[in-house]
This record gives sequence, structure tokens and C-alpha cells, in this order.
Amino acid sequence: MAPLQKRALYSLGIGVVWAIAIIVVFMAKGGVNAYTGDPGMRAILAALFIGGLIAYLAVLLTLRRKRGQVEATMDERDKVIMGRAPVVQLWAVFISLAIWSIALTEIYWDQGQIPVIFPYLILMSLFIVNVLSQSLGILIGYWRMGRND
Amino acid sequence: MTKVKNRIRRLRFDNDEMTQEELANRAGCTRQTIIALEQGKYTPSISLAFQIARAFGVTLEEVFQYEET
Repeated sequence: MAPLQKRALYSLGIGVVWAIAIIVVFMAKGGVNAYTGDPGMRAILAALFIGGLIAYLAVLLTLRRKRGQVEATMDERDKVIMGRAPVVQLWAVFISLAIWSIALTEIYWDQGQIPVIFPYLILMSLFIVNVLSQSLGILIGYWRMGRND
Repeated sequence: MTKVKNRIRRLRFDNDEMTQEELANRAGCTRQTIIALEQGKYTPSISLAFQIARAFGVTLEEVFQYEET
């Protein structure tokens, strides 16, 4: 397994745990209503969000040579695969936005307005989807190159 | 499969059974890329192709051949 592929796999694992942790905390603390009225809950979720993002990026992007290591950790093939990952990210973000739009419109149709807190939640969720789909895109890239498509 | 064929595996064995890792170090790529090249699953850039040929001390055409279909 290539070093970048290994990193992407670890990052995806961390990202999934991170996303689940945010969802669990969000639901356990009372969901949308509590998030709207409780600044403490918003701070906890913001800390969880930023902390997870830093941990994720640290694992994926610190792909450097270890001391004394001769072999390259990332070469042109890895860069080609990494360059294709944004296609997966684009689709993942687009699909997430479509889901958010349809769900919010349908749920709040009768009220005629959507709670103002949702743009924050949409932003947070799109960040999570974006970083997770980057790892997924890298793993799909290796898989497709292995199949020689 | 790729149209560009190569003799990397043959050349490695002809060069004192050079390991994939050794070749990767000389060519400045990862061992996984050498594996993908030998399996015909990846076509290298011109730059990497020259580095591989140089690692064996041969010309580009002795390592890579373009297969007409």
C-alpha cells in the first residue's frame, strides 16, 4: 500500500469517527433547538469541529520523509491520484447541498421560513463532507488505477 | 491495458536482481509506482521514464516501447 493511500485510509477512519462524534454530541445536547439557544453547546461543537479538522489534516498532509528514509513517500503517480480527488469532493458537496436544500424546504414548507442557525450547520457539514470525500477520492483513485481504468 | 509496454522487470533481473525498492530510490519514485509500472497499470511521465532508463544505464527505448494497435 502506497504511503499516501495508507494516510488516506487513516484519515478516512479519523474523519468518520470525528463526524459521528459531532453528530452524537449534537443529538445528545438537544439538536437544533438547543444549538440555537445555547452558546455553550455551540462552543463545544465548534471546538470538536476545529480539533477534528486539525487532527484530520495533520494525518493526511504531514506526508514527509522520516529521518534517514531514502525512499520517496509521494511521487508523480500519487500526485495524479490526489489531483483527481476533487472530482469526488465536488460531487459529494453538491449532493450534500441538494439533500440539505430539499430536506429543509420540505420540513419548513409550512412555516415559510428556515431557522437562521441552519447556515452554520450546513457550513459545518459541508466541511466534514469535503474532507471525508478527499480521502475517499484518493482511495477510489488508487482502486481505479489498480484496475487500470 | 496501457499501450506503453516496458521491460523493467527483465532489466531489474539483468542488473544483479535489483530490487523494486532500489530502483524506486534511484528513479525517485515509490516502490508502489514501480509495481504499478511492471504490472502495466501506470504509464510514467517522460521525466520518470528517463530516470528509470538512467537507473539502468540504458536508453529510453530499451525500457519502454509504444505498442501500435
